[in-house]
Amino acid sequence: MRPLAAMRGWGRRLRASRFMALLRKEIQQILRDRQLLKLLIIPPTIQLLIYGFALNPDVHFLRLGIVDYAQVSSSRELVSALTENRVFLAVSHPRSEQDLARQVERGELTAGLVIPPDFRRRIAEGRPADVQVFIDGVDANSAGIANGYIQQMLRRFRPTGAGTAARPPPVTAAVSFLYNPGLRSSWFFVPGVMGLVLTLIASLVSAVALVREKDTGTLEQLLMTPASAWEILLAKILPLFVLLQGDVVLALLLGRTVFGLPFRGNLLLFLLLSGLYLFVGIGIGTLLATVCRSQQQVLLTAFFINVPMVQTSGAIAPIDSMPAFFQAVSLLNPLRHYIAIVRGMLLKGVGLEALWPHALALVVMAVALMAFSVSRFRSQLS
Amino acid sequence: MRARIRAQCVKELLQFRRDRLTLGLAFLLPLLSLLILGFAIRLETKHIPIVVQDLDRSHLSYAYSDRLFATDQFHPSRWRGTDPVQGALDQGTAKAAVIIPPDFSRRIKAGKPVTVQVLVDGTDANNARVIRNSIQATTRFFLLDQGLIEDAQPVRAITRLWFNPGRKESLYIVPGVYAVVLWIFPSLLAAIAMVREKEKQTILQVYASGISAGELLLGKGLAYLLVGGSMALVVMGLGSLIFRIGFAGDPTPLLVGTSLYLAAAVLFGLLLGVRSASQNAAVQGVSLIGFLSALLLSGFIYPVSNIPFPLSLVSAIVPARYFVVISRDAYVRGTGWPGVGFDVLVILLASLVLFEAARRSLGAMQLGNGDGP
Repeated sequence: MRPLAAMRGWGRRLRASRFMALLRKEIQQILRDRQLLKLLIIPPTIQLLIYGFALNPDVHFLRLGIVDYAQVSSSRELVSALTENRVFLAVSHPRSEQDLARQVERGELTAGLVIPPDFRRRIAEGRPADVQVFIDGVDANSAGIANGYIQQMLRRFRPTGAGTAARPPPVTAAVSFLYNPGLRSSWFFVPGVMGLVLTLIASLVSAVALVREKDTGTLEQLLMTPASAWEILLAKILPLFVLLQGDVVLALLLGRTVFGLPFRGNLLLFLLLSGLYLFVGIGIGTLLATVCRSQQQVLLTAFFINVPMVQTSGAIAPIDSMPAFFQAVSLLNPLRHYIAIVRGMLLKGVGLEALWPHALALVVMAVALMAFSVSRFRSQLS
Repeated sequence: MRARIRAQCVKELLQFRRDRLTLGLAFLLPLLSLLILGFAIRLETKHIPIVVQDLDRSHLSYAYSDRLFATDQFHPSRWRGTDPVQGALDQGTAKAAVIIPPDFSRRIKAGKPVTVQVLVDGTDANNARVIRNSIQATTRFFLLDQGLIEDAQPVRAITRLWFNPGRKESLYIVPGVYAVVLWIFPSLLAAIAMVREKEKQTILQVYASGISAGELLLGKGLAYLLVGGSMALVVMGLGSLIFRIGFAGDPTPLLVGTSLYLAAAVLFGLLLGVRSASQNAAVQGVSLIGFLSALLLSGFIYPVSNIPFPLSLVSAIVPARYFVVISRDAYVRGTGWPGVGFDVLVILLASLVLFEAARRSLGAMQLGNGDGP
């Protein structure tokens, strides 16, 4: 019994030291690799900043042209009521409706307003005055919002001397905005971009690290050593995982300092769930590495996986507005779940009690991806 | 000179045909991107999940919630039970919660004002505003319907939406997708082709053959312009069929604009290829610079006027921004040359600048190589 137990202990120690040796080799390789460190810092920062600043759906400063045939104080009141909220900017006063129409047609104006000559008379007589509004409908979304805004302004608009002042309506809908009371659009986009950036960087870095060994032929040497596939992979993944956690913190700090994002959840849980997501990203990268033959193929394939992943994740366009088919597809998209987690923890301040379905989905995907890539990795040996 | 350009072009096309990866890049992936971007990006939300907690359960409160149920913008469900409705918002199963107070009908009948509390998930700021506006409009319709207020609006608007009266979002998105797809893929192909010669050292043979930098660029550029042209035909042709969009006016600005735009994309790729040391760097350069600029700084998703100051300068030199205008004009607006002549000119200018930049970098490299051992 005794010698057997001793041998077992010895074997365990050997395995530990073999793994440690592999790990040491990987860490040395990474520390020597300036390129990798640059890759980990520069593209995520640029992406986060550009996405965060450039994606801005606010509908404001729409260029409005006005033809005022009435030229009375009440018509000027109407114009100032429409432009006071910065949604519209009165930029031109063409002489006729035809001129106005031409300017809208050429895209010089986004909207046009025509106030009829009998504007004052009709209001004085208590009859509704009809103004004409043209809106450039090319940007369907902004046009809809602009139209809604005009209708809403007109419902409230009471020119001086129009008789009865509006009584408060019997029922009012008191709307309060939760989580983002200032309605800052960057608070929606930046958490999405954090997820996106982590996906890109985690899959790319791990795929490149593995494929490089293939490119240089050192993978065969590694595989000939008595180390198992698990050990080789784990030694490769662990240091990357630590570095990528650095990216999580970097993204979080950028979000806070540059975009003023709140952080309302539990930081430890956030890092834990982010770590889980990093495993998914690394799993995607490992899978890419086992499928692709060269670094170039990895980069291209990663690029093309990322386009659909980003588009169906809800990072840019909300998932509710997608066609049913894409909504169903998005359930299989790990990025969608991670973004829900980031938005939930940063903005809503919720924990696992609300986010467990997303966390569970990530666990399943991480395990499946890792198991699949290890088995593919192993089958490459033979 | 013409013979050398043609020879370079033919050689490039032969190489292109032999490589399955690049063939996929040229036709399969652009089409896939078209489908995904064209179908999945919808900015206007419909069927927003909301919950209605009716604490009154009277005839009037049912009439009110029925009003909410009748709009196609919401996908409402009744909140049963007494848990706070905020749970639904925390979990993300609803984007808004409407709470009808228990004294709703009593107060209305007594002529006292009553407040319906509405909680809106503000995470998605844009849609939060849309939700607020439609709930307020719905409340007004309810009051009109019940005869609780009269329609005493002194000024009414007769609105006409031009060019896109049905507010079909695909009319906005799909012409923009052309700009993104026709920028990324031709430049990626050209960059890879350029840098491959460098990595395999065949570029030295090319230098030795006495071909000038300009000729080399024109030869390779022409080859990928032809590839890009057929890509454009496939993508735009199928795009028009699938999304049912057609020309709104004179298509010649689009024809000229597309050719120039493809030339600019190819030259951009060649420039990046000349300047990067490895294929990886080239691919990363194109995917980072090209993809981000074409997707985010072009006005493809949200208007360019929303891009804040320092970035707006960058956006002004992104050719995709001008092509988006040309493409939307051809498919939606239809004003033709008077509307988009300027944009075509800018793209022409961009391709000339890119050509000159690539020629200089390549020339400098040739000289550098000549000096070396």
